[in-house]
Amino acid sequence: MQAFGFFRNKVPVGLHVNVRTNTGVNIQAVLDPNWSVNEVKEKIAPKLGFPASEVKIIFAGKELDDSFKLSDCDLGQQSILHAVKVVRVSSGNQATGIPLPTALAHSLPVMDSNQQGEQGRQIPHFYVYCSSCKKMCVGKLRVRCAHCKEGAIIVSRDPCSWEDVLTPLQIPGTCEVEGCGGDSVEFFFKCAEHVPSVDSLDALPLNLVKSNTRDVPCMACFDVQDLVLVFPCSSAHVTCLDCFRTYCQSLLQERQFTYDPVHGYSVPCPAKCDNSLIRDTHHFKLLSAELYARYQRFGAEEFVIASGGTFCPQPNCGMGLMPHPDCRRITCEHGCGFVFCRDCRQGYHIGECERTDGSECSSNTDDRQAYRVDPERAAAARWDEASAISIRVLTKPCPKCRTPTERDGGCMHMTCTWPQCGYHWCWVCQNEWTRDCMASHWFA
Amino acid sequence: MSNIAVQRIKREFKEVAKSEEGAKCEIRVELVNDSFTELRGEIAGPPDTPYEGGKYHLEIKVPETYPFNPPKVRFITKIWHPNISSVTGAICLDILKDQWAAAMTLRTVLLSIQALLSSAEPDDPQDAVVARQYKENYDVFLKTARFWCSCYAGAPKQASNGFEEKIKWLTDMGANEQVAIRTLSSSSWNIEKATEELFS
Repeated sequence: MQAFGFFRNKVPVGLHVNVRTNTGVNIQAVLDPNWSVNEVKEKIAPKLGFPASEVKIIFAGKELDDSFKLSDCDLGQQSILHAVKVVRVSSGNQATGIPLPTALAHSLPVMDSNQQGEQGRQIPHFYVYCSSCKKMCVGKLRVRCAHCKEGAIIVSRDPCSWEDVLTPLQIPGTCEVEGCGGDSVEFFFKCAEHVPSVDSLDALPLNLVKSNTRDVPCMACFDVQDLVLVFPCSSAHVTCLDCFRTYCQSLLQERQFTYDPVHGYSVPCPAKCDNSLIRDTHHFKLLSAELYARYQRFGAEEFVIASGGTFCPQPNCGMGLMPHPDCRRITCEHGCGFVFCRDCRQGYHIGECERTDGSECSSNTDDRQAYRVDPERAAAARWDEASAISIRVLTKPCPKCRTPTERDGGCMHMTCTWPQCGYHWCWVCQNEWTRDCMASHWFA
Repeated sequence: MSNIAVQRIKREFKEVAKSEEGAKCEIRVELVNDSFTELRGEIAGPPDTPYEGGKYHLEIKVPETYPFNPPKVRFITKIWHPNISSVTGAICLDILKDQWAAAMTLRTVLLSIQALLSSAEPDDPQDAVVARQYKENYDVFLKTARFWCSCYAGAPKQASNGFEEKIKWLTDMGANEQVAIRTLSSSSWNIEKATEELFS
């Protein structure tokens, strides 16, 4: 490995980059952002051992044109440039030498391009969730060979949509690494806010987050914020990130997220448009850690329920279980080991389930009688039991899914609050809501 | 109350005041307390309906999670309408329940409720008695709704249908006036039926 120490003397504020060849040589260099690609070639060619005219520089899936200025390439500190010896004249089917991030400003229709009139364009911003910074960061789009995972690959065309970027193997390319022969590319994202290390993980693209270059007001607070989340509905409804968090929080508190077998546990746009579910659930990383943990738990639980599973009823356990559909006796495996009845969720028993109305006491065995308890004190200290009783007193179960439901005013027409059920039932009859209920006891 | 909710309500408040409907005094909204959690709405009864000339007051409760959840709205002014409870003033309107969307505002809510007064939907009734009368005895329904409008919503008195005499007959027997009106209305102003219901 060689260091280009002499560059540092000339360039006080330089770009520290890694230049990698297709033969595995790695060179660190400090470049001046004002240099053209041609100048870069002149400087590094001697160290590579072949003339500048035979070097091609590949960055983010493109061979860079000689006239291009480095500052137009979205090159960050510690970026990797690939220097490859020209072995064949590039054929016409390769995309032109505009660096990919800049080219994307034109080709991805909903991407913010921050265009500033005639004087050139700014490089578009991508937003990612960075697991190192533990927050949303500005991200960089990069390309690598789907086969050898090296960056020395040239794409055959620019991506035209997020589909192209997010779906692997969508776009063919030509890998320049010797002996690889890879012919398709994969796109990935890096965090642009921390200096990358070798073991940096890919950043998670938050493709719905955009710079609000069109000054669209948030549909919830009506403010125009710099960063917005654009929902994937046909109207492309917009909320600011604060309102997105509040929206998710208000739904999560009432467990009103939608479980979708394809997209997972997600939310539609606040205007409830069709097909507006957020498809990449990494966007919920925008929530606080506590809320995200709750999101994950609810999501996992909904998955268990949707797959025919159940949960261990023991306090502080709640392990998700996937018992055989015909079996009434369930053991909490990998959890607390409790054995219970699927129907009444009490300890397993032979014969019919007993109805529990909360009034019965657990039978005291003789050896417990030596331990005397003041019944008044005990009653005052029954926190859990008290809330269980008040739930039993205040609520009625949905006749279909048994979700305990409280009626806080309005009419007797109940709609099950669990989104995956949504059963219409009558508070009086505790059965399906009918026109008879409407006629005879809509109100009381 | 969350910041978003307060900010939204403040803006919507202005929106109602500046709107064309606000200028024509068709809709109005005012504060009840300083916290923006409770508002008082007012809508004018739409023309060519039995509610014409009346002013209807609404109780609007803004939830913490507004605008992601709908405001709770109910009529304070008594009204005879198939989709509104004649007892509690509860409104049966889809946008106040599952069809609510965050893009809706106080203005659109008030206008939707006003529109509901113009076109009842008796198949989805909050008050089954009124709905039955609406479908089976539309003429009596109209007269009753108009009578309630002049009684409770301040519309000018209409030509007497003999309703006052029937009410007086019941109140003379010791019935509360409001109860008498409701019972007579429910029994389509059949004095025998109403008497039976009240005193047996």
